[in-house]
Amino acid sequence: MTRRRGPSLPVIGPVTGPAALPVLLLVVLLLAGPLLLPDPDRADFAGLLAGPSAAHPLGTDQLGRDLLSRLVHGGRLTIGLSLFAVLLTGVAGVAVGMLAAVTGRFGRLVIRLVDVLAAIPVVLFGLLAAVALGPGTGSLLVAVTAIAWTPFARQAHLLTLAEIGREYVTAARALGAGPVRVLAGHVARNLAPPLAAHACVRFASTLLTVSGLSFLGLGVQPPTAEWGAMVAEGREYLFTAPQVVLVPSGAVVLTAGTALWWGRRWDRIGAR
Amino acid sequence: MIVTTPGVRVLAALTTAAALLAGCGSPSGGGTPDPAGALTVALQFPPRSDYAFDADDGKLLSYLGVAETLTTVDDEAAAAPGLATGWEQDGDTWRFTLRPGVAFHDGTPLTPEVVVTALRHVAGVEAPPRSIRGIGFEIEADGADAVRISTAEPDPVMPLRMSSGNLAILAPAAYAGGGAPDYLRTGTGPLVLDAVNGVESAELLRNDDYWGEPAGAARITVRYVEDPQARALAVQAGDVQFAEGLPAAQLEQVRSAGAEVVAYEGARTVPLQLNQSRAPFDDVRVRRAVTEAIDRPVLAGQVLAGSARPAADLFGPAVPWGATEPPAGADAERARTLLAEAGYGPENPLTVQLWTFPNRPELPTLANAVQAMLGEAGIRVEVTVGNYEAQEPEVLAGQYDMFLNSRSYLSDFPDAASTLTSDYTCAGSYAIDQYCSPAYDALVERLNGTVDPAQRRQLFAEAAGMLTADAVGVMLVHPLNTAVLRGATGFTPDPLQVRPVLPQLIPAG
Amino acid sequence: MSGPLLLLRRLLVVPPVLLAASVLVFALPRWVDVDPARAVLRARTAEAVPDPATEARVRAELGLDRPVVEQYLRWLGGVLRGDLGLGYVSRTPVVEQVGSAATVSGLLTVLALALAAAVGIPAGVYAARRPGGRWDRFLGAGTIAGVAVPEFVLAPWLVLALAVWAGWLPAIGWGGPEHLVLPVLTLAAYPGALAAQLVRAETVGILQRPHVLLARSKGLSGQRVLWRHGARLATTSVTALAGMFVAGLLGGSVVVEVVFGIPGLGRLLHRAVPAQDLPVIQAGTLVVVAVAVTAGVLVEAVATALDPVRRTAERAG
Repeated sequence: MTRRRGPSLPVIGPVTGPAALPVLLLVVLLLAGPLLLPDPDRADFAGLLAGPSAAHPLGTDQLGRDLLSRLVHGGRLTIGLSLFAVLLTGVAGVAVGMLAAVTGRFGRLVIRLVDVLAAIPVVLFGLLAAVALGPGTGSLLVAVTAIAWTPFARQAHLLTLAEIGREYVTAARALGAGPVRVLAGHVARNLAPPLAAHACVRFASTLLTVSGLSFLGLGVQPPTAEWGAMVAEGREYLFTAPQVVLVPSGAVVLTAGTALWWGRRWDRIGAR
Repeated sequence: MIVTTPGVRVLAALTTAAALLAGCGSPSGGGTPDPAGALTVALQFPPRSDYAFDADDGKLLSYLGVAETLTTVDDEAAAAPGLATGWEQDGDTWRFTLRPGVAFHDGTPLTPEVVVTALRHVAGVEAPPRSIRGIGFEIEADGADAVRISTAEPDPVMPLRMSSGNLAILAPAAYAGGGAPDYLRTGTGPLVLDAVNGVESAELLRNDDYWGEPAGAARITVRYVEDPQARALAVQAGDVQFAEGLPAAQLEQVRSAGAEVVAYEGARTVPLQLNQSRAPFDDVRVRRAVTEAIDRPVLAGQVLAGSARPAADLFGPAVPWGATEPPAGADAERARTLLAEAGYGPENPLTVQLWTFPNRPELPTLANAVQAMLGEAGIRVEVTVGNYEAQEPEVLAGQYDMFLNSRSYLSDFPDAASTLTSDYTCAGSYAIDQYCSPAYDALVERLNGTVDPAQRRQLFAEAAGMLTADAVGVMLVHPLNTAVLRGATGFTPDPLQVRPVLPQLIPAG
Repeated sequence: MSGPLLLLRRLLVVPPVLLAASVLVFALPRWVDVDPARAVLRARTAEAVPDPATEARVRAELGLDRPVVEQYLRWLGGVLRGDLGLGYVSRTPVVEQVGSAATVSGLLTVLALALAAAVGIPAGVYAARRPGGRWDRFLGAGTIAGVAVPEFVLAPWLVLALAVWAGWLPAIGWGGPEHLVLPVLTLAAYPGALAAQLVRAETVGILQRPHVLLARSKGLSGQRVLWRHGARLATTSVTALAGMFVAGLLGGSVVVEVVFGIPGLGRLLHRAVPAQDLPVIQAGTLVVVAVAVTAGVLVEAVATALDPVRRTAERAG
């Protein structure tokens, strides 16, 4: 149960092997998809709500648009937005959390405030941003970043506090390393696995928030493809052409599930 | 109360089977009429303003069959007797004779004083209903059985105005508080509003002392369900026996569950508005090219899955003066020729912005289809689905290219003069297309002095024809209304949406 | 410093946060160029065409013609007297609207959390008896699914399965206890999965401690060890779930309330947004923030009380 102290980053282990396969597949599909697939907004009134075929591997939706193409373009938007939000909030949150851990009384005050803010539900910001900015991608981005950095800050704060109490930090400081260097070099390395785990979980929850707000009409607006908006648009075809709902729903669940599963892997690595 | 236990369902199924075997089977949605029975219905629009008469909620009380107005309308969209039995015009004054022997649900009689109190109240609020706003509306009692309504200028359509649900008359007790009228048990209609549970539900009871034909059900529970999907599911799960406004994709499903589906005309147009105050749509050839490029039968039939009628004109079959001939399909070749004449072609392609908003779910769908159709003709369209509130000032100021809107062309009472004025005259307050034609304005001006209903209809049709000839915008479709019955009968559609709906419904076991 | 005093000190942070939130919420809609009077008129009367004279009267009716600072102070004064004003669209007291909606949402959330605890806690303990075993792996997959399947996917399928196909329950609506089942099931999935996961991790940790291993090796059954730690386990998970309560109050419930047509706080706010019904949005936001922040502080305090290390650190600080 001792945490790794050396400088080696435990990255190689979990990325190899079959675990990486779904992620790799997703990345390839999202990056290369738009080059190979038809325009996601291109309507075809001769083939509405068609089942899978050679031309449309996942079938078409209520406007005859290619579902695979919409899935890929929607994924780029949904996943891209979520990744961007997690990166942004991750960097900001970790910086605040780590600094709060080493700045004494002021840091404690900051983290007390962060604790309070962290309790406020993200969806509330979705509603408020929609009031102020009008529903759209902009309001969505505000919603999933305004408050979402606080869990990162709390996590980083707790981990840093635990870490700077350890011998190696004392040793490094005794050897003349400054606080920033200790934080950035030694502590950050040991914080990486648990924070990566946390980031995976945050990614899943951001993805669910992004698609949920779009489903409610508070985020990405049709006809732009976004998974939650696609579910909302396709709801009435649940009986007649279930693929219209199943495809984006399945994508949300599988992507979020994969991220959570990765979160668990990182968690185990962190605990090793 | 509707019980949904499996046992009762089995029993009901057996009863139906027995009825079929006995040879008294009825069409889908039917059954044996049971006037002593109760109904639960799912309605689309909840009372967002606590049934206030100066909001759309005012019409809700008439729609429910609770409150009544001085007049109603017949199939020809002409005024018909309601709480008033007759009327006559004298210059700028109309005299309405009240129906004798009418009592409110609380037992008080209908008198001219009550009518004056009710209408003065609604005319005196901050935002009076459109039907009587800005016309110098005055009302006073005239003898023991009549009221006199006067206006600043002679008004040709006062009896039609009086059919607006916003002008319903409640008992004196309703206005005693001084604030918003108290709507519980104060109407005159065939149903009594017995209890209201916010925006969720309302309980209605049959008014056994009604002056006209009694309501078909002894008790009706109204549930307000905004989500169309949820209404469809409620019908399928047997929660409700009547629902309105179902998604087109679900109609087949509810039909196969044994429901009777009624689709009927609605007085609504989805116009693709074109900004003629600037290029490129200041050129009529470009506007005609857009019209030619759009296949309206495909929009209605395929894109909206038959939930709308292709529009040939501003007015559809919902009104007697509306166009009934469907428009022609697309002619991309002709569109390209017109564009070329206007100076656009492959080497100088036309790119335009199309704005719309998502509040009506068919609009983004139509925007996408229009984008595809205009693309075929060589017009590149960039679609933005945004917030109506933010778009409105821009489009009214003429800062846009194309705007996909949805408009009810009858505002509150079945007369088109106000829409024709506000939307298309030079000084119109909602003239989004920025259309300005002296000939058109002169035509609309003639409506002010035209009392004869037949002549008015003639003028409405002429005005709409002028808009079409000038290709002011492209009238895309007229969305259809739907109603679904499963365990109830007696629904007669009213495209004008003036007459009450719930009193007609009869429970069918 | 004693426990209650500590708690009081922590709660002191709530009023300033609420005040800050009130300023923010009040200022938000004024950043954009949307005229609330026009939005309100359109919410009351669909497709109302612009009419400056009427809009001016409505602006005066709503008090929007006053300076912004005066509007804010008026509103704040009302809030302090417990008067949140009238809703712009409905013109009924906001206190009543928000109060009844919050009660509905609260009921939903409490029931969902109770269900989540009742299912999640035993499932987590059971899985922890044999980490890596079949049941543990099954639960692992189940908890991922519970978090990864969002309400907007789960709710329609539950309605299809239990209301439309089986016909056991009403599809939508609010009123009787039968209307509670589907929304509570939908809402419980997330906290249930979380509770199971937390309890499992906690239990595995306990079972691996040296003194427990020793006790087990001496013949004390795992069951008895678990019982001894039962109280602690239950508090940990209940505390964590109470934290969930706060996020769940609005997070999942907006979707659930919209899809099932439930008159809760989430749907009230969802409706108020397009209508620019500022008093409702302001009051609803304040209620959510107040409940969330207070509950957050309480949860934190309980967690501190349970954790000796943090308790010491807290007193020193």
